[in-house]
Amino acid sequence: MKEYDIVIVGGGPGGSTAAKEAAEKGLKTIFFERGRKPGEKNSSGCGLGPRIWREFDIMKELTPDKCPSIREGKAARNYFVNKNDIVAGYVMTRPTESVTYEPAKSWITMNIYRSEFDPWIAKFATDAGAELKTSTLIVDLLKEDGKVIGVVDEKGEKYKGFVIGADGVISMVARQSGLRKKWAHDQVTMCPQYDFSAPPEKIDDIMGDEALAVWWTSTCPASYQVFFHDGFHQGLGNWLSWWDASPLYYLNRIINLKYYQRLLRILEAKPRELQGHLLPWISYPYNTHTENVILIGDAGGFSCPLEAEGIYPAMVTGRIAVEVAADAITAGDTSRTALDIFDEKWKKTSVGEDFEDGEELSKIWQALPFSPQETMSWFVPMFMEAIGGIYDWSQPHSKRIRQIAGHIKMYFPKALPFIMKYVFPLVAKIFENELDKMMDPKQLMAVLPKLLQMLPQKKKKRGEK
Amino acid sequence: MRAQDFNLEGLTKRIPGTGDFISIDIDKCNGCERCIIICMKALWKKKGSKIYLVDDYQTKCLECAACYQVCDANAIKFQYPVGGTGIVIEQG
Repeated sequence: MKEYDIVIVGGGPGGSTAAKEAAEKGLKTIFFERGRKPGEKNSSGCGLGPRIWREFDIMKELTPDKCPSIREGKAARNYFVNKNDIVAGYVMTRPTESVTYEPAKSWITMNIYRSEFDPWIAKFATDAGAELKTSTLIVDLLKEDGKVIGVVDEKGEKYKGFVIGADGVISMVARQSGLRKKWAHDQVTMCPQYDFSAPPEKIDDIMGDEALAVWWTSTCPASYQVFFHDGFHQGLGNWLSWWDASPLYYLNRIINLKYYQRLLRILEAKPRELQGHLLPWISYPYNTHTENVILIGDAGGFSCPLEAEGIYPAMVTGRIAVEVAADAITAGDTSRTALDIFDEKWKKTSVGEDFEDGEELSKIWQALPFSPQETMSWFVPMFMEAIGGIYDWSQPHSKRIRQIAGHIKMYFPKALPFIMKYVFPLVAKIFENELDKMMDPKQLMAVLPKLLQMLPQKKKKRGEK
Repeated sequence: MRAQDFNLEGLTKRIPGTGDFISIDIDKCNGCERCIIICMKALWKKKGSKIYLVDDYQTKCLECAACYQVCDANAIKFQYPVGGTGIVIEQG
Protein backbone atom coordinates (compact mmCIF):
# COMPACT_ATOMS: atom_id res chain seq x y z
CA MET A 1 0.00 0.00 0.00
CA LYS A 2 1.26 3.42 -0.96
CA GLU A 3 0.54 6.29 1.38
CA TYR A 4 -0.35 9.83 0.41
CA ASP A 5 -1.96 12.84 2.05
CA ILE A 6 -4.33 13.43 -0.90
CA VAL A 7 -5.52 10.90 -3.47
CA ILE A 8 -7.42 12.42 -6.40
CA VAL A 9 -9.47 10.26 -8.75
CA GLY A 10 -9.56 12.02 -12.12
CA GLY A 11 -7.15 14.13 -14.16
CA GLY A 12 -9.54 16.68 -15.65
CA PRO A 13 -9.40 20.42 -14.89
CA GLY A 14 -10.94 19.87 -11.43
CA GLY A 15 -8.61 17.04 -10.46
CA SER A 16 -5.55 18.86 -11.79
CA THR A 17 -6.47 22.08 -9.98
CA ALA A 18 -6.90 20.12 -6.76
CA ALA A 19 -3.58 18.31 -7.33
CA LYS A 20 -1.74 21.57 -7.98
CA GLU A 21 -3.16 23.28 -4.90
CA ALA A 22 -2.45 20.25 -2.72
CA ALA A 23 1.14 19.87 -3.92
CA GLU A 24 1.74 23.59 -3.39
CA LYS A 25 0.63 23.19 0.22
CA GLY A 26 3.32 20.56 0.63
CA LEU A 27 0.86 17.67 0.77
CA LYS A 28 1.96 14.36 -0.73
CA THR A 29 -0.42 14.11 -3.65
CA ILE A 30 -1.28 11.64 -6.41
CA PHE A 31 -3.90 12.00 -9.13
CA PHE A 32 -5.15 9.32 -11.49
CA GLU A 33 -6.17 9.46 -15.14
CA ARG A 34 -7.70 6.45 -16.89
CA GLY A 35 -6.64 7.69 -20.33
CA ARG A 36 -3.06 7.58 -21.56
CA LYS A 37 -2.98 11.30 -20.89
CA PRO A 38 -5.48 13.75 -19.39
CA GLY A 39 -8.17 14.91 -21.80
CA GLU A 40 -8.38 11.92 -24.13
CA LYS A 41 -11.44 10.36 -22.52
CA ASN A 42 -15.08 11.46 -22.49
CA SER A 43 -14.97 15.04 -21.30
CA SER A 44 -17.45 17.35 -22.87
CA GLY A 45 -16.82 20.90 -21.67
CA CYS A 46 -14.94 22.94 -24.23
CA GLY A 47 -15.72 26.51 -23.16
CA LEU A 48 -13.55 28.41 -20.70
CA GLY A 49 -15.46 31.28 -19.13
CA PRO A 50 -13.87 34.61 -18.18
CA ARG A 51 -14.36 33.94 -14.47
CA ILE A 52 -11.52 31.41 -14.75
CA TRP A 53 -9.17 34.22 -15.86
CA ARG A 54 -10.39 36.40 -13.01
CA GLU A 55 -9.69 33.77 -10.36
CA PHE A 56 -6.85 31.55 -11.61
CA ASP A 57 -3.49 33.16 -12.37
CA ILE A 58 -2.27 30.28 -14.53
CA MET A 59 -4.74 31.28 -17.26
CA LYS A 60 -2.52 34.19 -18.28
CA GLU A 61 -0.12 31.57 -19.60
CA LEU A 62 -2.69 29.90 -21.87
CA THR A 63 -1.58 30.95 -25.35
CA PRO A 64 -2.17 29.38 -28.79
CA ASP A 65 1.28 27.76 -28.78
CA LYS A 66 0.26 25.83 -25.64
CA CYS A 67 -3.19 25.02 -26.94
CA PRO A 68 -3.35 25.33 -30.76
CA SER A 69 -7.08 24.62 -30.91
CA ILE A 70 -7.94 27.80 -29.02
CA ARG A 71 -10.42 30.25 -30.55
CA GLU A 72 -11.97 33.27 -28.90
CA GLY A 73 -15.75 33.04 -28.69
CA LYS A 74 -16.16 36.78 -29.17
CA ALA A 75 -19.73 36.69 -30.37
CA ALA A 76 -22.60 34.23 -30.39
CA ARG A 77 -25.07 33.58 -33.15
CA ASN A 78 -28.59 32.48 -32.25
CA TYR A 79 -30.46 30.70 -35.02
CA PHE A 80 -34.22 30.32 -34.75
CA VAL A 81 -35.57 27.29 -36.57
CA ASN A 82 -39.31 26.86 -37.09
CA LYS A 83 -41.35 23.68 -37.08
CA ASN A 84 -40.82 23.25 -40.82
CA ASP A 85 -37.04 23.05 -40.25
CA ILE A 86 -36.53 26.47 -41.83
CA VAL A 87 -34.08 28.93 -40.27
CA ALA A 88 -36.59 31.71 -39.63
CA GLY A 89 -33.92 34.17 -38.52
CA TYR A 90 -30.82 34.72 -36.48
CA VAL A 91 -29.46 37.22 -34.01
CA MET A 92 -25.80 37.87 -33.31
CA THR A 93 -24.72 39.07 -29.87
CA ARG A 94 -21.40 40.02 -28.30
CA PRO A 95 -20.55 41.10 -24.75
CA THR A 96 -22.75 44.10 -24.00
CA GLU A 97 -22.03 47.49 -22.41
CA SER A 98 -23.00 46.29 -18.94
CA VAL A 99 -20.21 43.70 -18.72
CA THR A 100 -17.77 44.99 -16.09
CA TYR A 101 -14.32 43.45 -16.51
CA GLU A 102 -11.73 42.12 -18.92
CA PRO A 103 -11.49 39.62 -20.51
CA ALA A 104 -15.30 39.28 -20.25
CA LYS A 105 -15.74 42.55 -22.17
CA SER A 106 -13.81 41.05 -25.09
CA TRP A 107 -15.19 37.55 -25.36
CA ILE A 108 -17.83 35.19 -24.00
CA THR A 109 -15.74 32.02 -23.85
CA MET A 110 -12.36 30.77 -24.92
CA ASN A 111 -12.91 27.53 -26.84
CA ILE A 112 -10.39 24.69 -26.52
CA TYR A 113 -10.14 20.99 -27.24
CA ARG A 114 -9.76 19.14 -23.98
CA SER A 115 -7.10 16.85 -25.46
CA GLU A 116 -4.86 19.94 -25.37
CA PHE A 117 -6.20 21.85 -22.38
CA ASP A 118 -6.28 19.02 -19.85
CA PRO A 119 -2.60 17.99 -20.30
CA TRP A 120 -1.66 21.68 -20.12
CA ILE A 121 -3.39 22.22 -16.79
CA ALA A 122 -2.21 18.86 -15.41
CA LYS A 123 1.39 19.95 -15.93
CA PHE A 124 0.97 22.71 -13.34
CA ALA A 125 0.13 20.00 -10.84
CA THR A 126 3.06 17.76 -11.73
CA ASP A 127 5.41 20.78 -11.80
CA ALA A 128 4.23 21.57 -8.27
CA GLY A 129 5.21 18.07 -7.21
CA ALA A 130 2.01 16.05 -7.54
CA GLU A 131 2.36 12.55 -8.95
CA LEU A 132 0.22 11.77 -12.03
CA LYS A 133 -0.56 8.14 -12.77
CA THR A 134 -2.05 7.70 -16.24
CA SER A 135 -3.62 4.66 -17.96
CA THR A 136 -4.96 3.73 -14.54
CA LEU A 137 -8.59 3.06 -13.73
CA ILE A 138 -9.54 3.38 -10.08
CA VAL A 139 -12.14 0.69 -9.50
CA ASP A 140 -12.91 0.82 -5.79
CA LEU A 141 -12.49 2.64 -2.52
CA LEU A 142 -10.24 1.26 0.17
CA LYS A 143 -12.19 0.92 3.41
CA GLU A 144 -11.36 0.20 7.02
CA ASP A 145 -14.17 -0.42 9.53
CA GLY A 146 -16.60 0.89 6.91
CA LYS A 147 -14.68 4.15 6.51
CA VAL A 148 -13.04 5.24 3.28
CA ILE A 149 -9.29 5.44 3.72
CA GLY A 150 -8.09 5.42 0.11
CA VAL A 151 -8.56 3.91 -3.35
CA VAL A 152 -7.81 0.70 -5.24
CA ASP A 153 -6.78 0.53 -8.89
CA GLU A 154 -7.67 -2.13 -11.45
CA LYS A 155 -4.51 -4.11 -10.66
CA GLY A 156 -5.37 -4.23 -6.97
CA GLU A 157 -2.77 -1.63 -6.00
CA LYS A 158 -3.88 0.33 -2.92
CA TYR A 159 -3.34 4.03 -2.30
CA LYS A 160 -4.09 5.43 1.14
CA GLY A 161 -5.07 9.04 1.68
CA PHE A 162 -7.84 11.64 1.77
CA VAL A 163 -9.97 11.00 -1.34
CA ILE A 164 -11.10 13.70 -3.73
CA GLY A 165 -13.60 12.39 -6.28
CA ALA A 166 -12.93 14.26 -9.52
CA ASP A 167 -14.06 11.32 -11.61
CA GLY A 168 -16.84 12.92 -13.58
CA VAL A 169 -20.52 12.29 -14.07
CA ILE A 170 -20.39 8.50 -13.54
CA SER A 171 -18.39 8.79 -10.35
CA MET A 172 -17.09 5.60 -8.81
CA VAL A 173 -16.12 7.62 -5.73
CA ALA A 174 -19.70 8.88 -5.28
CA ARG A 175 -21.12 5.40 -5.70
CA GLN A 176 -18.69 3.43 -3.53
CA SER A 177 -18.70 6.02 -0.76
CA GLY A 178 -22.48 5.82 -0.59
CA LEU A 179 -22.94 9.49 -1.49
CA ARG A 180 -24.97 8.72 -4.60
CA LYS A 181 -26.01 5.56 -6.40
CA LYS A 182 -27.12 7.07 -9.67
CA TRP A 183 -28.47 10.36 -10.90
CA ALA A 184 -32.22 10.59 -11.36
CA HIS A 185 -33.34 10.94 -14.98
CA ASP A 186 -33.99 14.64 -14.50
CA GLN A 187 -30.53 15.27 -13.05
CA VAL A 188 -28.40 14.25 -15.98
CA THR A 189 -28.43 15.15 -19.66
CA MET A 190 -27.41 13.07 -22.66
CA CYS A 191 -25.42 14.94 -25.30
CA PRO A 192 -24.56 13.50 -28.71
CA GLN A 193 -21.88 15.56 -30.42
CA TYR A 194 -20.04 15.67 -33.73
CA ASP A 195 -16.71 17.32 -34.28
CA PHE A 196 -16.14 18.66 -37.81
CA SER A 197 -12.84 19.71 -39.28
CA ALA A 198 -12.75 22.97 -41.24
CA PRO A 199 -9.89 25.10 -42.61
CA PRO A 200 -9.14 27.90 -40.10
CA GLU A 201 -9.27 30.58 -42.81
CA LYS A 202 -12.75 29.43 -43.84
CA ILE A 203 -13.96 29.73 -40.26
CA ASP A 204 -12.34 33.18 -40.01
CA ASP A 205 -13.95 34.37 -43.25
CA ILE A 206 -17.40 32.90 -42.81
CA MET A 207 -17.99 33.06 -39.07
CA GLY A 208 -15.75 36.01 -38.17
CA ASP A 209 -16.05 36.66 -34.43
CA GLU A 210 -19.03 34.37 -34.16
CA ALA A 211 -17.33 31.35 -32.69
CA LEU A 212 -20.40 30.21 -30.77
CA ALA A 213 -23.91 29.47 -31.93
CA VAL A 214 -27.10 28.11 -30.50
CA TRP A 215 -29.69 26.63 -32.83
CA TRP A 216 -33.03 27.23 -31.12
CA THR A 217 -35.37 24.84 -32.85
CA SER A 218 -39.01 23.84 -32.75
CA THR A 219 -38.35 20.19 -33.49
CA CYS A 220 -35.15 19.33 -31.58
CA PRO A 221 -33.58 20.30 -28.26
CA ALA A 222 -31.49 23.46 -28.65
CA SER A 223 -28.25 22.61 -30.39
CA TYR A 224 -24.91 24.25 -29.68
CA GLN A 225 -22.09 24.94 -32.08
CA VAL A 226 -18.62 25.78 -30.80
CA PHE A 227 -15.80 26.80 -33.13
CA PHE A 228 -12.15 26.00 -32.52
CA HIS A 229 -9.08 26.90 -34.54
CA ASP A 230 -9.56 24.22 -37.18
CA GLY A 231 -12.96 22.72 -36.50
CA PHE A 232 -16.19 22.88 -34.59
CA HIS A 233 -18.53 20.90 -32.40
CA GLN A 234 -22.21 20.44 -33.12
CA GLY A 235 -24.13 18.86 -30.31
CA LEU A 236 -27.34 18.94 -28.37
CA GLY A 237 -28.64 17.57 -25.13
CA ASN A 238 -31.62 16.90 -22.98
CA TRP A 239 -32.41 15.27 -19.68
CA LEU A 240 -32.59 11.47 -19.73
CA SER A 241 -36.30 11.68 -18.99
CA TRP A 242 -36.97 13.43 -22.31
CA TRP A 243 -35.84 11.18 -25.16
CA ASP A 244 -38.38 9.33 -27.31
CA ALA A 245 -35.89 8.45 -30.07
CA SER A 246 -32.13 8.10 -30.42
CA PRO A 247 -30.21 11.24 -29.45
CA LEU A 248 -28.39 10.86 -32.76
CA TYR A 249 -31.70 11.08 -34.65
CA TYR A 250 -32.25 14.56 -33.24
CA LEU A 251 -28.68 15.71 -33.81
CA ASN A 252 -28.84 14.47 -37.40
CA ARG A 253 -31.97 16.56 -37.95
CA ILE A 254 -29.90 19.65 -37.22
CA ILE A 255 -27.12 18.47 -39.54
CA ASN A 256 -29.68 17.89 -42.30
CA LEU A 257 -31.26 21.35 -42.09
CA LYS A 258 -30.95 22.93 -45.52
CA TYR A 259 -29.24 25.94 -43.95
CA TYR A 260 -26.81 23.73 -42.04
CA GLN A 261 -25.93 21.76 -45.15
CA ARG A 262 -25.01 25.02 -46.87
CA LEU A 263 -22.88 25.99 -43.88
CA LEU A 264 -21.03 22.65 -44.04
CA ARG A 265 -20.41 23.17 -47.74
CA ILE A 266 -19.05 26.69 -47.55
CA LEU A 267 -16.96 25.92 -44.45
CA GLU A 268 -15.59 22.88 -46.30
CA ALA A 269 -16.40 20.98 -43.12
CA LYS A 270 -15.92 17.25 -42.77
CA PRO A 271 -17.10 15.03 -39.91
CA ARG A 272 -14.07 14.12 -37.80
CA GLU A 273 -15.31 12.62 -34.54
CA LEU A 274 -18.48 11.35 -32.92
CA GLN A 275 -18.90 11.63 -29.17
CA GLY A 276 -21.56 10.85 -26.59
CA HIS A 277 -21.47 12.61 -23.26
CA LEU A 278 -23.47 12.59 -20.07
CA LEU A 279 -23.65 15.89 -18.25
CA PRO A 280 -25.00 16.39 -14.74
CA TRP A 281 -27.44 19.30 -14.72
CA ILE A 282 -29.02 19.74 -11.35
CA SER A 283 -30.64 22.59 -9.43
CA TYR A 284 -28.50 22.27 -6.31
CA PRO A 285 -25.55 20.05 -5.34
CA TYR A 286 -26.13 17.73 -2.39
CA ASN A 287 -24.26 14.89 -0.64
CA THR A 288 -20.96 16.44 -1.68
CA HIS A 289 -18.83 14.84 1.04
CA THR A 290 -18.54 12.15 3.66
CA GLU A 291 -15.80 11.08 6.01
CA ASN A 292 -12.42 11.43 4.28
CA VAL A 293 -14.10 12.07 0.90
CA ILE A 294 -15.06 15.19 -1.08
CA LEU A 295 -16.66 15.25 -4.55
CA ILE A 296 -15.81 18.05 -6.97
CA GLY A 297 -16.78 19.10 -10.49
CA ASP A 298 -19.21 16.88 -12.39
CA ALA A 299 -18.79 14.12 -9.79
CA GLY A 300 -20.42 16.44 -7.26
CA GLY A 301 -22.99 17.85 -9.70
CA PHE A 302 -21.25 21.21 -9.96
CA SER A 303 -22.13 22.44 -13.40
CA CYS A 304 -23.84 25.78 -13.96
CA PRO A 305 -27.61 25.28 -13.52
CA LEU A 306 -28.45 27.54 -16.48
CA GLU A 307 -25.94 26.69 -19.19
CA ALA A 308 -24.00 23.75 -17.69
CA GLU A 309 -20.59 25.45 -17.77
CA GLY A 310 -18.48 22.78 -16.12
CA ILE A 311 -14.76 23.55 -16.19
CA TYR A 312 -14.90 26.67 -14.04
CA PRO A 313 -17.03 25.11 -11.26
CA ALA A 314 -14.76 22.03 -11.31
CA MET A 315 -11.68 24.22 -10.81
CA VAL A 316 -13.32 26.27 -8.05
CA THR A 317 -14.55 23.24 -6.13
CA GLY A 318 -11.20 21.49 -6.66
CA ARG A 319 -9.37 24.38 -5.05
CA ILE A 320 -11.83 24.60 -2.13
CA ALA A 321 -11.81 20.84 -1.55
CA VAL A 322 -8.04 20.97 -1.02
CA GLU A 323 -8.27 23.95 1.36
CA VAL A 324 -10.83 22.06 3.42
CA ALA A 325 -8.97 18.74 3.25
CA ALA A 326 -5.65 20.36 4.24
CA ASP A 327 -7.22 22.01 7.30
CA ALA A 328 -9.01 18.79 8.25
CA ILE A 329 -5.83 16.73 7.93
CA THR A 330 -3.90 19.25 10.05
CA ALA A 331 -6.64 19.23 12.69
CA GLY A 332 -6.72 15.43 12.64
CA ASP A 333 -10.45 15.38 11.97
CA THR A 334 -11.72 14.43 8.51
CA SER A 335 -15.18 13.40 9.69
CA ARG A 336 -18.24 14.24 7.67
CA THR A 337 -19.16 17.02 10.10
CA ALA A 338 -15.69 18.51 9.94
CA LEU A 339 -15.95 18.59 6.15
CA ASP A 340 -19.31 20.39 6.20
CA ILE A 341 -17.25 23.53 5.77
CA PHE A 342 -16.74 22.46 2.13
CA ASP A 343 -20.41 23.26 1.48
CA GLU A 344 -20.18 26.54 3.39
CA LYS A 345 -17.18 27.56 1.31
CA TRP A 346 -18.42 26.75 -2.20
CA LYS A 347 -21.76 28.38 -1.44
CA LYS A 348 -19.90 31.65 -0.88
CA THR A 349 -18.23 31.54 -4.30
CA SER A 350 -19.43 32.74 -7.68
CA VAL A 351 -20.40 29.11 -8.36
CA GLY A 352 -22.51 29.05 -5.19
CA GLU A 353 -24.24 32.25 -6.23
CA ASP A 354 -25.33 30.60 -9.49
CA PHE A 355 -26.87 27.76 -7.50
CA GLU A 356 -28.80 30.18 -5.26
CA ASP A 357 -31.15 30.55 -8.21
CA GLY A 358 -30.39 27.08 -9.51
CA GLU A 359 -33.89 25.72 -9.47
CA GLU A 360 -35.39 28.66 -11.35
CA LEU A 361 -32.48 28.77 -13.82
CA SER A 362 -32.57 25.07 -14.66
CA LYS A 363 -36.37 25.05 -14.88
CA ILE A 364 -36.51 27.84 -17.44
CA TRP A 365 -33.87 26.11 -19.53
CA GLN A 366 -35.78 22.84 -19.30
CA ALA A 367 -39.02 24.56 -20.30
CA LEU A 368 -37.67 26.65 -23.18
CA PRO A 369 -34.88 25.35 -25.43
CA PHE A 370 -35.25 21.81 -24.11
CA SER A 371 -38.97 21.68 -24.82
CA PRO A 372 -39.07 22.08 -28.59
CA GLN A 373 -42.62 20.92 -29.26
CA GLU A 374 -44.25 22.47 -26.20
CA THR A 375 -42.48 25.82 -26.15
CA MET A 376 -40.14 26.55 -29.03
CA SER A 377 -42.88 25.79 -31.57
CA TRP A 378 -44.68 29.02 -30.54
CA PHE A 379 -41.67 30.90 -29.23
CA VAL A 380 -39.84 30.92 -32.57
CA PRO A 381 -42.69 32.32 -34.72
CA MET A 382 -43.66 34.82 -31.99
CA PHE A 383 -40.09 36.04 -31.61
CA MET A 384 -39.55 36.22 -35.35
CA GLU A 385 -42.82 38.11 -35.80
CA ALA A 386 -41.52 40.66 -33.30
CA ILE A 387 -38.06 41.12 -34.78
CA GLY A 388 -38.66 40.29 -38.41
CA GLY A 389 -42.27 41.15 -39.18
CA ILE A 390 -41.70 44.76 -40.13
CA TYR A 391 -39.28 43.97 -42.94
CA ASP A 392 -42.07 43.46 -45.42
CA TRP A 393 -43.52 45.21 -48.48
CA SER A 394 -46.80 43.35 -48.66
CA GLN A 395 -48.98 46.04 -47.09
CA PRO A 396 -48.89 49.67 -45.98
CA HIS A 397 -46.51 49.61 -42.99
CA SER A 398 -49.12 50.75 -40.48
CA LYS A 399 -51.30 47.84 -41.52
CA ARG A 400 -48.33 45.50 -41.15
CA ILE A 401 -47.75 46.72 -37.60
CA ARG A 402 -51.37 45.97 -36.78
CA GLN A 403 -51.02 42.55 -38.38
CA ILE A 404 -47.86 41.84 -36.41
CA ALA A 405 -49.40 43.04 -33.12
CA GLY A 406 -52.48 40.95 -33.74
CA HIS A 407 -50.44 37.89 -34.58
CA ILE A 408 -48.22 38.23 -31.51
CA LYS A 409 -51.38 38.63 -29.43
CA MET A 410 -52.52 35.28 -30.80
CA TYR A 411 -49.57 33.60 -29.07
CA PHE A 412 -50.29 35.25 -25.72
CA PRO A 413 -52.44 32.40 -24.37
CA LYS A 414 -49.33 30.23 -24.67
CA ALA A 415 -46.74 32.84 -23.81
CA LEU A 416 -48.38 34.32 -20.73
CA PRO A 417 -48.67 31.11 -18.69
CA PHE A 418 -45.03 30.39 -19.60
CA ILE A 419 -43.94 33.82 -18.44
CA MET A 420 -45.96 33.49 -15.24
CA LYS A 421 -44.62 30.02 -14.50
CA TYR A 422 -40.96 30.36 -15.41
CA VAL A 423 -39.88 33.93 -16.10
CA PHE A 424 -41.47 35.79 -13.19
CA PRO A 425 -40.29 33.38 -10.49
CA LEU A 426 -36.75 33.71 -11.85
CA VAL A 427 -36.87 37.49 -12.06
CA ALA A 428 -38.46 37.72 -8.61
CA LYS A 429 -35.75 35.43 -7.17
CA ILE A 430 -32.93 37.39 -8.75
CA PHE A 431 -34.22 40.80 -7.67
CA GLU A 432 -35.53 39.46 -4.38
CA ASN A 433 -37.90 41.88 -2.63
CA GLU A 434 -37.47 44.83 -4.92
CA LEU A 435 -39.74 43.52 -7.61
CA ASP A 436 -42.16 41.58 -5.46
CA LYS A 437 -44.98 44.00 -6.08
CA MET A 438 -44.40 44.27 -9.78
CA MET A 439 -44.22 40.51 -10.08
CA ASP A 440 -47.39 39.83 -8.16
CA PRO A 441 -49.37 37.64 -10.59
CA LYS A 442 -52.73 39.08 -9.44
CA GLN A 443 -51.68 42.63 -10.14
CA LEU A 444 -50.21 41.65 -13.46
CA MET A 445 -53.31 39.84 -14.59
CA ALA A 446 -55.33 42.88 -13.62
CA VAL A 447 -53.22 45.10 -15.86
CA LEU A 448 -52.26 42.91 -18.79
CA PRO A 449 -55.69 42.30 -20.34
CA LYS A 450 -56.34 46.04 -20.25
CA LEU A 451 -53.05 46.70 -21.99
CA LEU A 452 -53.96 44.16 -24.64
CA GLN A 453 -57.32 45.82 -25.23
CA MET A 454 -55.50 49.06 -25.85
CA LEU A 455 -53.86 47.63 -28.95
CA PRO A 456 -55.49 49.56 -31.82
CA GLN A 457 -58.08 47.67 -33.82
CA LYS A 458 -58.67 50.26 -36.55
CA LYS A 459 -56.80 53.25 -37.78
CA LYS A 460 -58.57 56.51 -38.50
CA LYS A 461 -57.81 58.07 -41.86
CA ARG A 462 -56.11 61.48 -42.08
CA GLY A 463 -58.74 64.17 -41.49
CA GLU A 464 -61.30 61.68 -40.19
CA LYS A 465 -62.84 62.36 -36.80
CA MET B 1 -22.90 15.79 -46.85
CA ARG B 2 -26.03 14.58 -45.15
CA ALA B 3 -25.82 12.94 -41.73
CA GLN B 4 -26.94 9.54 -42.98
CA ASP B 5 -23.89 9.49 -45.27
CA PHE B 6 -21.40 9.92 -42.41
CA ASN B 7 -19.25 6.86 -41.83
CA LEU B 8 -19.90 6.66 -38.09
CA GLU B 9 -17.43 3.90 -37.37
CA GLY B 10 -14.68 5.99 -38.94
CA LEU B 11 -15.42 8.80 -36.48
CA THR B 12 -14.17 7.05 -33.35
CA LYS B 13 -10.60 6.10 -32.51
CA ARG B 14 -10.12 3.23 -30.15
CA ILE B 15 -7.37 1.29 -28.42
CA PRO B 16 -8.54 -2.33 -28.47
CA GLY B 17 -8.16 -5.07 -25.92
CA THR B 18 -10.50 -3.79 -23.28
CA GLY B 19 -12.42 -6.92 -22.26
CA ASP B 20 -16.04 -6.70 -21.19
CA PHE B 21 -17.08 -3.49 -19.52
CA ILE B 22 -20.88 -3.56 -19.91
CA SER B 23 -23.20 -6.40 -18.97
CA ILE B 24 -26.90 -6.97 -18.41
CA ASP B 25 -28.55 -9.07 -15.71
CA ILE B 26 -31.57 -10.45 -17.55
CA ASP B 27 -33.29 -11.43 -14.30
CA LYS B 28 -33.32 -7.80 -13.18
CA CYS B 29 -34.27 -6.32 -16.60
CA ASN B 30 -37.88 -5.10 -16.72
CA GLY B 31 -37.91 -4.67 -20.50
CA CYS B 32 -38.52 -0.90 -20.40
CA GLU B 33 -36.32 -0.44 -23.50
CA ARG B 34 -34.90 2.87 -22.35
CA CYS B 35 -31.39 1.55 -23.08
CA ILE B 36 -32.47 0.86 -26.66
CA ILE B 37 -33.73 4.42 -27.11
CA ILE B 38 -30.82 6.23 -25.46
CA CYS B 39 -27.91 4.40 -27.13
CA MET B 40 -26.55 6.61 -29.91
CA LYS B 41 -24.90 3.63 -31.56
CA ALA B 42 -27.94 1.32 -31.30
CA LEU B 43 -25.94 -1.32 -29.44
CA TRP B 44 -28.94 -2.58 -27.45
CA LYS B 45 -31.43 -4.84 -29.23
CA LYS B 46 -34.52 -6.82 -28.44
CA LYS B 47 -35.27 -10.39 -29.46
CA GLY B 48 -38.70 -11.54 -28.37
CA SER B 49 -38.97 -10.07 -24.91
CA LYS B 50 -35.25 -10.31 -24.23
CA ILE B 51 -33.00 -7.24 -24.28
CA TYR B 52 -29.41 -7.88 -25.25
CA LEU B 53 -26.17 -6.06 -26.03
CA VAL B 54 -24.65 -6.68 -29.46
CA ASP B 55 -21.59 -8.93 -29.43
CA ASP B 56 -19.22 -6.39 -30.95
CA TYR B 57 -20.19 -3.52 -28.63
CA GLN B 58 -16.57 -3.15 -27.47
CA THR B 59 -15.57 -1.94 -30.92
CA LYS B 60 -18.51 0.47 -31.25
CA CYS B 61 -19.38 1.83 -27.79
CA LEU B 62 -18.75 5.53 -27.11
CA GLU B 63 -18.43 4.89 -23.35
CA CYS B 64 -21.06 7.51 -22.50
CA ALA B 65 -22.65 5.19 -19.89
CA ALA B 66 -26.16 6.41 -20.73
CA CYS B 67 -27.47 2.82 -20.77
CA TYR B 68 -26.22 2.27 -17.23
CA GLN B 69 -27.52 5.62 -16.06
CA VAL B 70 -30.97 5.23 -17.63
CA CYS B 71 -31.59 1.72 -16.23
CA ASP B 72 -33.95 2.06 -13.28
CA ALA B 73 -33.97 -1.70 -12.75
CA ASN B 74 -30.20 -1.61 -12.12
CA ALA B 75 -29.86 -4.47 -14.58
CA ILE B 76 -27.05 -2.87 -16.57
CA LYS B 77 -23.55 -2.93 -15.13
CA PHE B 78 -20.97 -0.50 -16.48
CA GLN B 79 -17.35 0.09 -15.61
CA TYR B 80 -15.01 2.11 -17.79
CA PRO B 81 -12.60 0.02 -19.89
CA VAL B 82 -9.25 -0.70 -18.26
CA GLY B 83 -6.84 2.21 -18.10
CA GLY B 84 -5.23 3.25 -21.36
CA THR B 85 -7.72 1.38 -23.55
CA GLY B 86 -11.07 2.07 -25.18
CA ILE B 87 -12.03 5.23 -27.03
CA VAL B 88 -9.62 8.09 -27.57
CA ILE B 89 -11.16 11.51 -28.01
CA GLU B 90 -8.86 13.86 -29.88
CA GLN B 91 -11.30 16.72 -30.36
CA GLY B 92 -13.34 16.66 -27.16
